[in-house]
Amino acid sequence: MGLQPFLVLSSALFCIGLFGVITRRNTIGILLGIELMLNSVNINLVAFSRFNGSVAGMVFTVFTISITVAEMALGLAIVILLFRVRRTAMADHLDLLKG
Amino acid sequence: MTFDLGMPLLAEVALFALAVLVLIVGLITQGNAHQRIGWLTLIGLVGVLGLTFVATEGASLFSLSFVQDDFALFAKRLFIVATMVSLLGSLTLRHSTFARRSAEYHFAILSSLVGMMVLASARDLVLIFVAFELMSIPLYVLTGFLKRDSTTSEAALKFFLVGTVSSAVIAYGMSFIYGVTGSTALEAIGPALADGSPLMVLGMTMLFAGLSFKIAAFPFHMWAPDAYEAASTPFVAWLAVAPKAAGFVAIIRLYVEGAGSTSLMWMPMVAAIAGMTIVTGNLMAIPQSNIKRLLAYSGIAHIGYMLIGLAAFSSSGVAMMLFYLVAYLFGNMGAFMVVEAVAQSESSDGIDAYKGLAQRSPLLALAMLIFLLSLGGIPFVAGFWAKLYVFWAAIERGLYGLVFLGAVLTVVALYYYLLVARRMYIETSDRTDPIPVPGLLGLAIVICLIGVIGIGVYPGPWVDMALRVASTLF
Repeated sequence: MGLQPFLVLSSALFCIGLFGVITRRNTIGILLGIELMLNSVNINLVAFSRFNGSVAGMVFTVFTISITVAEMALGLAIVILLFRVRRTAMADHLDLLKG
Repeated sequence: MTFDLGMPLLAEVALFALAVLVLIVGLITQGNAHQRIGWLTLIGLVGVLGLTFVATEGASLFSLSFVQDDFALFAKRLFIVATMVSLLGSLTLRHSTFARRSAEYHFAILSSLVGMMVLASARDLVLIFVAFELMSIPLYVLTGFLKRDSTTSEAALKFFLVGTVSSAVIAYGMSFIYGVTGSTALEAIGPALADGSPLMVLGMTMLFAGLSFKIAAFPFHMWAPDAYEAASTPFVAWLAVAPKAAGFVAIIRLYVEGAGSTSLMWMPMVAAIAGMTIVTGNLMAIPQSNIKRLLAYSGIAHIGYMLIGLAAFSSSGVAMMLFYLVAYLFGNMGAFMVVEAVAQSESSDGIDAYKGLAQRSPLLALAMLIFLLSLGGIPFVAGFWAKLYVFWAAIERGLYGLVFLGAVLTVVALYYYLLVARRMYIETSDRTDPIPVPGLLGLAIVICLIGVIGIGVYPGPWVDMALRVASTLF
């Protein structure tokens, strides 16, 4: 199998994630979309690493995975905080700040 | 390897040690430790700033992926000075959250600063990405720091979502760059771009889109006003300057140093983004009634002016962008510090709170006027030279249309800055009592005033320094 199927998979995943981020009304759904986008990066990196024959991509993947985890932990914390204060997790209810 | 104070990475390690120390002191002290921790952080930062002055220029680590060149040292000093001014302002915050969780506040600021400092030296995609995230993640925490307030959590969530999506876009772009070059070193970017691989162009374009989020350039600027309005003002003053400067540092590393002679192909894109950013920022600032939102939109416009310098993709263009960053640091942070002083006394960020300020506190009103004039670009304050030099660098490259647009919108910018000035000087207020300015906040304002007027009257040494720093990149 060549490099191309991996790139198609990762770009499909990236686009699905981006679509989710744009269309989801629930903030948890938006977080899931971001997770998909970040995971498509990992597929890309590992595939390139395999076909370039260099290990740097794998190392990069280890870093992106740990950073993704940190970001998602913080994201969920913010959503929980928001739910406690405002009793909602829907993105279109967040309209106190505008202009 | 022998130990000496000029070693690369020493300043970053010292800064991280300081951050851990702050956390420990916060754990073992009881009661209100805000003052103690704030002073500890400030004194530590003076030490780290000193370390950047004894650092050996040109030293590098890890086979050139961490360099300590002129440019990195310049950026590091800029970040540290901005942090110190912001901390001077936040020392006077009386909010109970700061009394209880001061160590966390300072720890988050310091870890973000470590990220910026590493970013300034990074010449490797992995290191740039990790440093960028180390810088960004504490910013989301700090935006939502006053967590009982209903607007801060909303602002933190908006900032977080936009920031994380942009991180994903940056990482996706980087994965293509790695895929084409087979290496994560910046030196590999230039030759691969010269070969004209479409994946490479895709990667670099996505990377630029992601970085535009971080510096709040045109289509990706919407998070800035919300985050600025909700977060605490001394932090916002810093958020408006230091992370933006770090974003520019990353852009310069990747697109000027990394891409090398092929960087000119990005000129039309950067010029278009610069133009649209200036127009949006300035036009959106006019109807604002909240001074922090007004400064947020004016800050977006300033990002556009800095992008003009970048669009020139010449040594003088980048130099003048760096000079603009210095002028913007003092002008913008000063204005935010005055906003904090007024907000502490009036409990309002509305522009109407500035009515009759000239009668109530003439010195404070004069300081605000000077900062606004500097941001607007009036002669003999720092902002004037910054704009003039950026335009000059762009004209050298034949970007006449962009310079014309920028110059026209400078007049628009003056209009809304002078709307604030009119409230301070012409309109009167029922209240006549002066606005109390806490001593440290006053000190921060005075430092910014010295910066703005000093650069405005005598810009020569700063311009020379910026030119010297930028010449090493070409």
